[in-house]
Amino acid sequence: MKKIMLSLAACLWLGNALPAAAADKKTVLLDWFVNPDHGPLFVALERGYFREAGLDVEFKGPADPNDPPKLVAAGKADLAISYQPQLHMQADRDLPLVRVATLVATPLNSLVVLKDGPVKQIGDLKGRTVGFSVGGFEDAMLGAMLEKHGLSLKDVKLVNVNFSLSPALVSGKVDAVIGAYRNFELNQLDILKKPGRAFYVEEEGVPAYDELIVVANRKDIAKPQIAAFVGALERGVQFLVNHPDESWSLFIKERKELNDELNKRAWRDTLPRFALRPAALDRKRYEAFAAFLKKQGLIEKTPALETFAVELE
Amino acid sequence: MNGYLGSRALVRPIIVFAGLLAGWQAIVWASGVPPYILPGPAAVVAAFRKGADLIAQNAGTTIVEIVAGFAIGAAVGAVSALAMSYLRPARRWLLPVLVVSQAVPVFALAPVLTLWLGYGLESKIAMAVLIIYFPVTAAFYDGLRRTEPGWMDLAHVMNASRWAELRHIRLPAALPALGSGLRVAAAVAPIGAVVGEWVGSSAGLGYLMLHANARVQTDLMFAALFVLAIIGCVFYFTVDSAVRRLVPWQAESHPEEEFR
Repeated sequence: MKKIMLSLAACLWLGNALPAAAADKKTVLLDWFVNPDHGPLFVALERGYFREAGLDVEFKGPADPNDPPKLVAAGKADLAISYQPQLHMQADRDLPLVRVATLVATPLNSLVVLKDGPVKQIGDLKGRTVGFSVGGFEDAMLGAMLEKHGLSLKDVKLVNVNFSLSPALVSGKVDAVIGAYRNFELNQLDILKKPGRAFYVEEEGVPAYDELIVVANRKDIAKPQIAAFVGALERGVQFLVNHPDESWSLFIKERKELNDELNKRAWRDTLPRFALRPAALDRKRYEAFAAFLKKQGLIEKTPALETFAVELE
Repeated sequence: MNGYLGSRALVRPIIVFAGLLAGWQAIVWASGVPPYILPGPAAVVAAFRKGADLIAQNAGTTIVEIVAGFAIGAAVGAVSALAMSYLRPARRWLLPVLVVSQAVPVFALAPVLTLWLGYGLESKIAMAVLIIYFPVTAAFYDGLRRTEPGWMDLAHVMNASRWAELRHIRLPAALPALGSGLRVAAAVAPIGAVVGEWVGSSAGLGYLMLHANARVQTDLMFAALFVLAIIGCVFYFTVDSAVRRLVPWQAESHPEEEFR
């Protein structure tokens, strides 16, 4: 009798638990094809943190890194991984986007030259060619860096090299590239036996910013699933910094194509850059960056911060 | 023959165009689609006014690329077709090249071409040439092969030299075919130039569009796209009318007009 009661109770419990287990499907658009910058997301996925938070998360890579925030703004996806500088520009153009979490809390962007090339310092760029991959604000960033060294954008020739940052530099078609990621392109150049030298944007006149953030549609930010996602992301980053090697194995478990020298090195170099408190928002920093973009003429108005960046309750 | 630049013929495209604009604005109004996804014509006109200098400057670069690419591509294509029809080794060696030039997607080749030729005009012109080469060569080569046999017999009877045969019979007979090739080439030339600008450039409409897209200036992007379409149309109709004038012996008729 006791057994029957127990199994009945178990059935009842299961019956109650099942609807909750039918997790909420969420589509998250990545800024770029899967790479070590997305470490905490995939650790959280493989560790089952999203599932435990009642979410069935699907990550998708875009054809164009500019698309994900627009798709979230249009309600075609739930969340997007994007960039803080772009968020300011999108807010300026009234896209209903709100930053809800930070993935990478420092800039990754840098100005990279070849170590044995003619450019030893930023001042040497006068009259030279700088390649960039159009993200919309590279010229502003480079302008600020040049200004610090007594030059201006007029002193260099800017060339869009699209996704061929390293090839353009190695082949000598450009003397420097802006928009290169310190954790990625530097390693790529090293593997090509053409070591690079990075000038870090935040050390050269550009205010510090969050390279990668998570944005949601404004109408969704009160939903508990968004907070649940950020919570799972925090567990992911905690596990990652505590167990970096095990995390690497989890990261490549379903993505064998990523198991190469470049990604291994990038993984190591990205570790110290992840936001340890993804939900936390540094208001001062965002305001300072908005002021910087306005000064550079990239945004026209400075909307109130809480309209496009929040710390979820 | 009124010519297609007659007044009635001019009014029709304008009506079609106005209709398209009205439909576009209606869709924007009816669907409430946000401007960063699809800006209405009014917003695009505003962006066009605001960025006229910028657009004009970049359009200039793209026009140079298109025209230069077209000139070189057409010349190389015409010479290739002549060589292929007169020289057996050329036929054997060039035909695969011709097919490969079309089978390899320019988008895949573009990054490599820019690395080889640099980020200036050369790589864009090369891309346009690559895209134009096939239609011109293929059409002209077909034209040269399909000379009316009766005319050739006549030439043989009259003991014409090979040069005279080419000059007076084969070439004039093949020019209408070359004209068709040039028309197709004119229509696709902008693709080559813009693909080139997409993967590496510092000026041009493709470059401007890439920039506008990254900065969520969808209206500016549409304005640039619009100008590109106009450039494409003007270029096509210019080549088309030039071809008609250069090959007046090519009779033209449309099926519906035949039995009047």
